[in-house]
Amino acid sequence: MRGISLYVHLPFCAARCPYCDFATAPASSALRARYLGALATEIAREGAALGRPRLRTIFVGGGTPSLLDPPEVARLDAALRAGFAHRPRPREVTVEANPATLDRARLEAWRELGVTRLSLGAQSLSARGLRALGRTHQPEDVPAAVEAARSLGLRVAIDLIFGWPGQSVGEWREDLDTAVALGPDHLSCYPLELELEPEASIANWPGAGWKGLERWRRTAAACQPDDRGLAVLYAVAQRYLARAGYRHYEISNWAREGSICLHNSTYWRNGPWLGVGAGAHSHLGGVRSCRPVSLARYIGDIERDAPRIVDQGADETVDAAILALRLDTGIDLARFALRRGADARERVARALGATGVVGLVRWSGDRVTLTPRGRILASEVFVQLIP
Amino acid sequence: MSDAQQRIRNFCVIAHVDHGKTTLSDRLLELTGTVAAREMHPLMLDSMPLEREKGITIKARAVRMSWTYADEAYELNLIDTPGHVDFNYEVSRSLAACEGAVLLVDVSQGIEAQTLANAYLAVEQGLEIIPVINKVDLPNIDLELVREDLRSTLGFKDEEILLASGKTGLGVRAILDAVVTRVPPPRGDGAAPLRALIFDSHYDQYRGVVAHVRVVDGSVAVGDRTLLMATDKASELLELGIFAPDARPRDRLLTGEVGYLATGLKTVLDCRVGDTVTSADAPAREPLHGYRPAKPMVFAGIYPTRSDDHPALRDALEKLKLNDASLVYEPETSQALGFGFRCGFLGLLHMEIVQERLEREYDLDIIATAPSVEYQVLTTRGAEVPIDNPAMLPDPTTTAEVREPWMKVTIIVPSQHVGPVMELAQGKRATLVEMTYVDPTRAMLRYDMPLSEVIVDFYDQLKSRSQGYASLDYEMAGYRAADVVLLEVLVAGVPVDALSTIVHRERAAYAGRNLVTKLRGLIPRQQFDVPIQAAIGGKIVSRETVKALRKNVLAKCYGGDITRKRKLLEKQKAGKKRMKMVGQVEIPQEAFLAVLRADEDAP
Ligand SMILES: Nc1nc2c(ncn2[C@@H]2O[C@H](COP(=O)(O)OP(=O)(O)OP(=O)(O)O)[C@@H](O)[C@H]2O)c(=O)[nH]1
Ligand code: SF4
Ligand SMILES: [Mg+2]
Repeated sequence: MRGISLYVHLPFCAARCPYCDFATAPASSALRARYLGALATEIAREGAALGRPRLRTIFVGGGTPSLLDPPEVARLDAALRAGFAHRPRPREVTVEANPATLDRARLEAWRELGVTRLSLGAQSLSARGLRALGRTHQPEDVPAAVEAARSLGLRVAIDLIFGWPGQSVGEWREDLDTAVALGPDHLSCYPLELELEPEASIANWPGAGWKGLERWRRTAAACQPDDRGLAVLYAVAQRYLARAGYRHYEISNWAREGSICLHNSTYWRNGPWLGVGAGAHSHLGGVRSCRPVSLARYIGDIERDAPRIVDQGADETVDAAILALRLDTGIDLARFALRRGADARERVARALGATGVVGLVRWSGDRVTLTPRGRILASEVFVQLIP
Repeated sequence: MSDAQQRIRNFCVIAHVDHGKTTLSDRLLELTGTVAAREMHPLMLDSMPLEREKGITIKARAVRMSWTYADEAYELNLIDTPGHVDFNYEVSRSLAACEGAVLLVDVSQGIEAQTLANAYLAVEQGLEIIPVINKVDLPNIDLELVREDLRSTLGFKDEEILLASGKTGLGVRAILDAVVTRVPPPRGDGAAPLRALIFDSHYDQYRGVVAHVRVVDGSVAVGDRTLLMATDKASELLELGIFAPDARPRDRLLTGEVGYLATGLKTVLDCRVGDTVTSADAPAREPLHGYRPAKPMVFAGIYPTRSDDHPALRDALEKLKLNDASLVYEPETSQALGFGFRCGFLGLLHMEIVQERLEREYDLDIIATAPSVEYQVLTTRGAEVPIDNPAMLPDPTTTAEVREPWMKVTIIVPSQHVGPVMELAQGKRATLVEMTYVDPTRAMLRYDMPLSEVIVDFYDQLKSRSQGYASLDYEMAGYRAADVVLLEVLVAGVPVDALSTIVHRERAAYAGRNLVTKLRGLIPRQQFDVPIQAAIGGKIVSRETVKALRKNVLAKCYGGDITRKRKLLEKQKAGKKRMKMVGQVEIPQEAFLAVLRADEDAP
C-alpha cells in the first residue's frame, strides 16, 4: 500500500501579518488547548476510519506551528502515532516555522515527531522588506534558523514574497542572492497578493480588526509594483534561480535536484490526502472537502462528530488538469485519457487549443506545459478549462 | 341581447405606475372568491419572476370573476394593466376589450402623467370611467386636493369618486357594485357570425399559440373550425376557456366574454395581436377594428456572444414575440458582432426586460448594442431612408438632411421644483410649449423634445431634481431636422460598427474624447496593448490605450485548496461569457452601452 499524505493545521501565530489570509488565530487564544484536543480527536477518528493507513508524507502548516510548546508537540506526536501506521516511516515530514519563534528545545521536540524538513517563512531578507510586509522578525533570524535546522540534519525550504510596497528589482535580486547564499534545498516565491474582501479567518482574532487590515492593504496595494512590475520580478526569479541550480518545478516553487516537496506534489498530482484542523482541505476517494476556518466552529464540528464540508462544485477533470499544469511536467493528454476517459481528454485539449492561450502553453506530442509567460498568466489558461 | 350577455361586465384597472392596481386586484379576487384565501398571495397577478423582482406589472392580465348584485349574478372580466410609460400600448390594447375602466389615483401622489395619459386613452375609446382615490389608509392625506385634481383635470363630479384601499380592502365592495351599475354590458350580436378580437397572446409548450380574446359577436365552442382574418389561417379549436386567474377550460365562450383560444398554431406570424377570429364555416364579412401596430421608440442590436447561439436566439425572439406583441425584430449583420437582430422596443425599460428574459428564460448569453432612435435621412437623390442603426448612416456627401424624432412630453411636478426641471429640459434641447396647473400645488409642463434626449437618463434626472415627485409621459410628435454626424470607434485599429453612434455636430469631438476614456475603463486588459480611437468622418479625434495584462496567476496553492481558486476562475469565466470577441479583443456588454452616454462626462 502506497499510503496517503496528511496535512495538519496549527493556526496560532504570535502576531497577525497584515497581508495574510491563512486560517490563523492568536497564540494566546483561549481556545488553544481545546483546539489541540479537537485536533487529536480528529486525528484519532480519521485514522481509525481510514483503517490506520501508512503516511507517505506529513506537512504541519499554519499559522506558526513552530511556536507550539514541546509538550504540545509531544501530544500531537502521540496522536499521530496512535492514529496512523508509522512503519515504514513517512518519506517526508515538514514543519513550517517562523524564523523568530525557533529555538533549540522546540526543534528537538519536532525532531522527536520525525520532522525531516523545515519550511521557513522568511518572506524577505532585508529589513526594509520585512518592515514593508509588517513582519516582526529580523533579517538575522533567518541564517540562525537555517543553521539550527541544518545542525539537526533537516532539509531547509525558504519562502519569499516579492512585490512588497516599494520593492525595486535590485532589492528583489538582493533577497534572492541572500537566500541562495544560505543554500536552501527549496525556495518558494510568491507575489504579494492582497485580498480586499474580509475572509473568515479574521473572526479568530479578538475584535476582528478588519477595518485596520483593509486600510493597510489598500495603502500597500497602492504602492506595490503594478502587474507589469510583478511580471518583471517573477521573470528575474525564473532566470536567476535557474542559474543558481534550482529547478522551477511549479508556478511558485523551485528546488535543488531531488528536493521537490513530496507533500505538495501530492496536491498537484491530484493524489489522496487527509487534512486535519481548522480550514484544512482533504481529497479522499475523489471527493474534495474541508473544515471550517473558524476555530469555534471547527471545535464544535469535531465535538459533534460532524462531517467535513464537501466541495460540491468540484470537477475532477478540470481540477486535475489545472493542478497538473501548475507543474513543469505539465499534462500528458495520453495518460490523462487513459485515466479519465476520452471525453475528459477532449475537453482539456479543446480548452488548451483556444485562441486565448496561444503563447501561454507549449505542445510537444501529447504533453502540454505552460510557457514561462504562461506561468505568470496561468489563470488565463485555467479559465479556458472552466465549463 | 341575451340574458347572459346583460350580466357581463368587462373592465380594466388603469393608473399611473405604482398607484396600486395589482394590489387592488388582489382584493377584488379575494372578495369575489375567485381565489381561495389559502391560495392567495400578494400581487397575485404579477406572476412573472421579473415582475416580482422589479415590483412592477409588465404584462396585462385578464381574470374572470363572479359578483352578485341585487340578487343577480354577474360575470366580471377584469384586466389589470401595467402603469409604466413603456407599456402604454399594452394598456390601449386592454382598453379595446372593455366597456369600463377603474381609474386609480394614489391619494399621496395625486394625478400624475400616466394617470392623465391612460384616462385620455379610455375616454377616446368611449369607456365608462370609475374614478377611485386609492390608498386612503395612508396617514396625513389630503382627500380634497386629490378630488380637486379629478374635478379640474378630468371633469369628474364628487359623487362619482369612490375611496378605496387595496391594503385594507376598504371600498372594494363599492367598486364591484359600481362596475355592475355604471359599466354597460357588452354590445354585440349573439346571432351574428363569430368575431373575436385577439388582444394578447402567449405561447404554451403544450397548447401552442394561445390567443387571449374578447368575443365581440357570435360565440365559439371547442371543436369549431376558426379562421384568423388577417393571416387567413384556419385551425380547429382543441381547447378554449377562461382565466381565473389560471387557465380553466370551458366548452364555449359567448358574446361579450373574455377568455382564451388554444389555436394549435405554432408561429407568431400566424396569430397576430389585433387580428379577428371568425368561424371558418360561416365567416364574418368584416374584421374588427384591431389596433394600430406598436410603434417602437428605440432600437438596438442583439447578438449572441457565441455565434453558434444564433439559431437559439432567433427561436427565443420568436417565442418572446408571442408573449409580447410590441417587440419587433429583424435579422441584422454587424462586421464586429456577426449575425444578430435589430430589435425595436417601446422604451428602455422594455428593452431591459426583453434582454433579461432572453438571458433567463432562454438561457442565452447576449450582447445588446446601445439603444438608438430611428433617424430619417433624406438623400441628395430625393429618397427618404429610415436609419435605426447608427452604423448605417449614409455618407454626408449623399445626404441632404437628417431628421430625428421629437416627442410631446408632459411633466407634472410640484410648483417648488419647476425651476430645476426647466433647467434640465433646457439642457436637453427641449422647447416649452405650455405650462398650466393641475391643482394649486402642482404644475403641468408640456415640452417638445428630441427622443434621443428623452431616452438618456432624462427620467432619472427628472426624478432626482424633483425629489422623486415629478412624473413623465411622452408621445411621438414628428420628425425635425438635426445637425448630426457619425462618431466611429476603432478598437485595436479595427472599426467596430456596433460602437458607432450618432451625435450632434458641435458636441462630437467632446463626445469622442469622453467615449474613448470610458471605453478604456470598460474594456478589460488583454494579453496585448489595445488602442481605442474615436473618429469623425475618417479623422481620428482621440486615442487611449488599454495596457496589456502582464500577470494573472493564483500563485499560492496552500494546503491543496483548489476550491477557492476554482471559484475565482468561475467568476472570471462568467465575465467572459458576457463579452463578445471582436477580432482579437474581448469587449464586455457595458462598453456597448457606454456609447449611449457618449457625450456625458466620463466619471
Ligand atoms: N398603504 C398602501 N399601500 C398600497 C396600497 N396599494 C398598493 N400599495 C403599495 O404600493 C406599491 C405599488 O403597488 P402595486 O399594486 O404593485 O401598484 P401597481 O399600480 O400595480 O404598479 P404597476 O403595475 O407597476 O404600475 C406597493 O408597494 C404596494 O404595497 C394601499 O391601498 N395602501
Ligand atoms: S506568521 Fe504566517 S500564518 Fe501567521 S499571520 Fe504571519 S503570514 Fe500568516
Ligand atoms: Mg401592477
